Amino acid sequence: MSVRYAVLGLISQKPRHGYETRVVFESLVGGDENWEVKPAQIYTTLDRLEEAGLVERSSDLGEGEEPSRRVFQVTPQGEEALQEWFASPVPSEHQRDEFFIKLIIGVACRQADPERLIQTQRVLLFQEMHAATNQREEYDPHTEMAQILLLDKAIMHLEADLRWLDMIEMRLEAIKEQPLPEPEIRRRGRPRKGEKGSTYPPPEKVVSPL
Amino acid sequence: MSIISAQNLTKIFGSGATAVTALDHVNLSVNPGEFVAIMGPSGCGKSTLLHLIGGLDRPSDGKVVIDGTSIAEMNDDRITELRRRKIGFVFQFFNLIPVLNAIENAALPITLDGVKPAEAQKKAAEWLTRFGLSSRLASRPDQLSGGEQQRVAIARALAAEPALILADEPTGNLDTRSGDEIAGLMRDVAKKYGRTVVMVTHDPRIAAYADRIVFLKDGKIVDETLLERNNDGGAAIVAQKIREIGD
Amino acid sequence: MNLQLTLAVRYLAGRKLRTALTTLAIVFGVVLIFGMNTVMPTLIAALQANVQGAEGQADFTITNVAGDSFPADVTSRLQDIDGIRAFTASLERAVNLPADFVDNNPARPDRIMAVNLIGIIPEQARSIRAYPILEGRYLNDSDTAATVISQTLADAFSVKAGDSIRLPSISGLTELSVVGILPADIGPENESVLVTLPQAQKMTGESGNVNIIRVNVEAFADMARRTEIQGKIEAALGKNYRAGTLMAGEEMFGTMELAQIALSMFGALALFMGGFIIFNTFRTVVTERRRDIGMLRALGATRRTIIGAILTEGFLQGLLGSAIGLLFGYWMAFGVLKVAQGPLSAFVNIKLGTPIVEPGLVILSILLGVGVTVLAGLLPAWSASRVTPLEALRPTVTEVEFTRQTGRGFWAGMVILVLTVLAILSGQSTLILPGGILFLVGLVLVAPGLIRPFVSLFGRVVGFATVRQGIGGLAQSNLTRQPSRVAVTASTSLLGLAVIVAAGGLVTSMSGTLLDMLQDSLGSDYVYLPPSVGFWGSNVGAAPELAESLRAVPGVETVSTLRFASSQASGQVVSVLGIQPDEFQRVSGLVFVEGNKSAYEEIASEHALIANSVFMIGTGLKAGDTVELSTSDGQVQYRIAAVATDMLNAKINTVYISQDHLQTDFGNTEDVFIQIDLREGADREAAGAQIKALGENYPQFKVISGVDYYSTILAQFKAAFSALYILFAILAFSSLIAMLNTLTISVIERTREIGMIRAVGGTRRQIRNMVVAEALLLAAIGATFGILGGMYLGYVLVTAIDVIFPMGYSFPVSGIVAAIVIGLLFGVLAAIIPARQAARLEIIQALRYE
Repeated sequence: MSVRYAVLGLISQKPRHGYETRVVFESLVGGDENWEVKPAQIYTTLDRLEEAGLVERSSDLGEGEEPSRRVFQVTPQGEEALQEWFASPVPSEHQRDEFFIKLIIGVACRQADPERLIQTQRVLLFQEMHAATNQREEYDPHTEMAQILLLDKAIMHLEADLRWLDMIEMRLEAIKEQPLPEPEIRRRGRPRKGEKGSTYPPPEKVVSPL
Repeated sequence: MSIISAQNLTKIFGSGATAVTALDHVNLSVNPGEFVAIMGPSGCGKSTLLHLIGGLDRPSDGKVVIDGTSIAEMNDDRITELRRRKIGFVFQFFNLIPVLNAIENAALPITLDGVKPAEAQKKAAEWLTRFGLSSRLASRPDQLSGGEQQRVAIARALAAEPALILADEPTGNLDTRSGDEIAGLMRDVAKKYGRTVVMVTHDPRIAAYADRIVFLKDGKIVDETLLERNNDGGAAIVAQKIREIGD
Repeated sequence: MNLQLTLAVRYLAGRKLRTALTTLAIVFGVVLIFGMNTVMPTLIAALQANVQGAEGQADFTITNVAGDSFPADVTSRLQDIDGIRAFTASLERAVNLPADFVDNNPARPDRIMAVNLIGIIPEQARSIRAYPILEGRYLNDSDTAATVISQTLADAFSVKAGDSIRLPSISGLTELSVVGILPADIGPENESVLVTLPQAQKMTGESGNVNIIRVNVEAFADMARRTEIQGKIEAALGKNYRAGTLMAGEEMFGTMELAQIALSMFGALALFMGGFIIFNTFRTVVTERRRDIGMLRALGATRRTIIGAILTEGFLQGLLGSAIGLLFGYWMAFGVLKVAQGPLSAFVNIKLGTPIVEPGLVILSILLGVGVTVLAGLLPAWSASRVTPLEALRPTVTEVEFTRQTGRGFWAGMVILVLTVLAILSGQSTLILPGGILFLVGLVLVAPGLIRPFVSLFGRVVGFATVRQGIGGLAQSNLTRQPSRVAVTASTSLLGLAVIVAAGGLVTSMSGTLLDMLQDSLGSDYVYLPPSVGFWGSNVGAAPELAESLRAVPGVETVSTLRFASSQASGQVVSVLGIQPDEFQRVSGLVFVEGNKSAYEEIASEHALIANSVFMIGTGLKAGDTVELSTSDGQVQYRIAAVATDMLNAKINTVYISQDHLQTDFGNTEDVFIQIDLREGADREAAGAQIKALGENYPQFKVISGVDYYSTILAQFKAAFSALYILFAILAFSSLIAMLNTLTISVIERTREIGMIRAVGGTRRQIRNMVVAEALLLAAIGATFGILGGMYLGYVLVTAIDVIFPMGYSFPVSGIVAAIVIGLLFGVLAAIIPARQAARLEIIQALRYE
């Protein structure tokens, strides 16, 4: 989603054509090693923005029908949409964590050693943090502050993840004891007699007089 | 040839029913020029391990070999000499003698070795300048910020040109920014000035500056990992991470 | 090493208040040692100058070894000695002038209290030294009642050449006509009154005698030649004479030496207590600096380096303390001499000068000051070196270690205490004496272990008093947390207060005994009192006629006189007092230590004497032994019939013989002290009036009634005792310093804690009260121990002095009360500054303090 608005924003800053937009975007995020955006994705985004009426072709710099050279500029609706985007915060999605799933499944299956799991993850996180730290060191704070900030975020999240691993480790015993949740499975289709939603009374239960 | 070789290192505190095994037959090997971080939950024995390596304490069992010499046979005077010349220490706090100024503090190991203070301070001044403290030479510790104090401590650790630097939670008392600075400095000490640095820390962020992490738990080494990989691999991993954050 | 010096200086400068306090302890000790020992030599020098009189330009001065007079024809023995250029004999006596004799003005204090009467052979005397005459003329050999005096004296008497003056003599007042005036005497000696030798002999009753021969020899500068001539002179004269530049020992020197020893011991005790305080401080310093010390060790400082650092600090403090102590000691000596001039003149004629500084004493004081400080720092320095590098990272609580130490020391102390108590019960004086010191040591050892129980005991009391303050418990727990420090502080208080209690015991016992003795000895109705009581030699007495006239007064029952001669026995100077055994017994009395009243008969009938305890100790003789007294004619043997003490002469070697023997052996017939008892039912008014009237012709005596005399003596003793009390109170001052030290350190250590208390709502007043409560607890502990120790020590002192001066032991109630009051007072005083500091702490700063 954010690529769409990033493009909109870049065009709002000044009219650009697709190729230029892609190049600028990539340098913003520190090179295509960090965040590669395929050219096709840019052009598709631009088309969609045009359809939504948020950008329009600029008639000033026409250079033929070549898609890469088509220059776009922002429309008033586009500005509005941009403002709405600025005004709204970005929700985090920390709950979607693959390691979490891996750990719980592993415990439930009894096929993985949780401690090994955690340690393996930990080692990787450290390696990632080491690499991120190295990369951060190489930036020049005078000209690449934005990139430094991005890496700071990476490092901080990695740090948080590592701390979370420590926490898991401490409570591992409790986790092992608790069973996988077995929620009530809903039958699809019509409810049977007597079940919730059915209109028939339940079959008579024979109660032995014992 | 490893510069540190800890073999079967064991340390038990107390005796009888209240005995606590801080280290349980630990084996560790550090090569010259490495920057090693020792991590683990509190009470896992990481500080104890460092103390034993540095000759600050004696093991209950096992031995420590520094640069080919076992410390077990050394008497107090010889170990003390080792600490003056071969090992430099950086601690978490109360690193500096409050009544001496920065340059006097930094020159301590050399002065204690019998060199005249004036000459010792020349050496110390070099290191202090390298760490950006040339204007603070005459300041007392209470006039320096936490980060500056640690930099003086590191300069002091290097003043006698020891081969080995041992740091016990050197950033524990500092804010994030100063901590990063100091950790970076420690890495320079290893990479740029060629010393071996062994650092105990509980802060993952600081540990990430090292080449290798040793994980300690309940007095035993549970894992070790190299952090330095080839460039491509490292960058790719970072890239993936950032993308995941973005989606 | 340079580093150690740097560290020492910085640490000392960093805690200025504490450095000042601990240095004060050393200053104190050095002031006492240096000051007291400077006062003494000055006194002695002044005394010597007084005693010698004008030395003039004689090379040698020949005197009798006993200081007594001798026949003038002794000079004939010098005639043939090769090397003597000239000699002259003279009779010189210090004549004490009664009060206001010179100016007759009671309102103005006397400048001239004595003169030197010098009887010379005028032409012969001139061969030895010059007598430049300012006015009038010099003496002629044919002069009788003529005199040449100094300008100063002439001014004092307001006379010129041609006028006359009067002087006391054995025949009453003698008038002398002033024929010449000499220049003013320079120097502290008495003014001279020159008369012809026969005239002097007449005035002093020394017919045919002289007491000084002055000799000039050739080549005086040559040491070897001088010694040779000296030897020849002494050989020619015999062993009763000495040729030298100093007179043989006078009676006062003996006392002086005793006093010097006593005061030196006193100073040593003060220094010892100072060392205690330093020890306490160093211990605290080491504890506080554990982290720094551990850090240094971690960085590679050897144990020796650490010890050196601590000792350097001690050395510097010792040096500083000694230097300041020397300065203040000199001022103190100056002050003491100035103040002492007045009272001392009542006893003896001395003009005290400025303090004389002996280089040897200066060096000794410095050595002692520095030595004690360094010594006190040894143990803490050693324990500092034991601090492990780990202390730098993880400071441990030291109390566990401490309790183990208490174990050993505590039991050792208990054993010592039990032993010393047994020693008292045994009654053996040889055991009791060292027992006193050991008892104190035992208390000091036991103290730490008793702190907790004491604190909880006293704490309850304090708790009652401060129940509404809410801080009583805190004060208690503050003390129990560091029992070793409290114990050392309490020990200092203990020593200081123990001394006060002991002094109290001594004083109480002495006064009790003395008062009894006074009643016995001096129960006479009237007394003819000379200016110097006790130092009889400087008095001009009266011829026997006075005593006869007194006996003739209606209503007079007994007249007892004392006569005096100076002698030597077993190398000691002795006062020989001639008594009339019968009369003496009736008005006065000796307290017999060995023997009894039958001794009075013995000394009358045979060559026997009664000696006093000081004499017995000094000579090491026993009752029944025979002793040789030297006289101007040689040695005379006397048997020691008994040993007794008389309050008047207790301090000086004294022997009592009959006046008949005094006359035959020593040639003295002057009465220097007269006691008169009236008959029962006599007309006291009339008798008294006549007695006083007779005295007018003898202005060297003061005629007082017995009751007055008693009060005079009592007043003097009270003054002496007060001085003693003051001296000991000064010692207790050390305990004040110790407490101040401990409290200050305690407050500094608990800065964070105090901040915490304030942050949760404690008021400044509560903080102040907490510190004061702590101080009072400290003081109470010290006082308790001090009283216990003091009672024992007092008993020891009394037992010791009992040998010289028999007295019984009285319970020192006043001493104990004094100790309690002083102890608590000092406690409160010591708390003032720390309490204020604690209350003034800013909360934020306190909480940040590490």
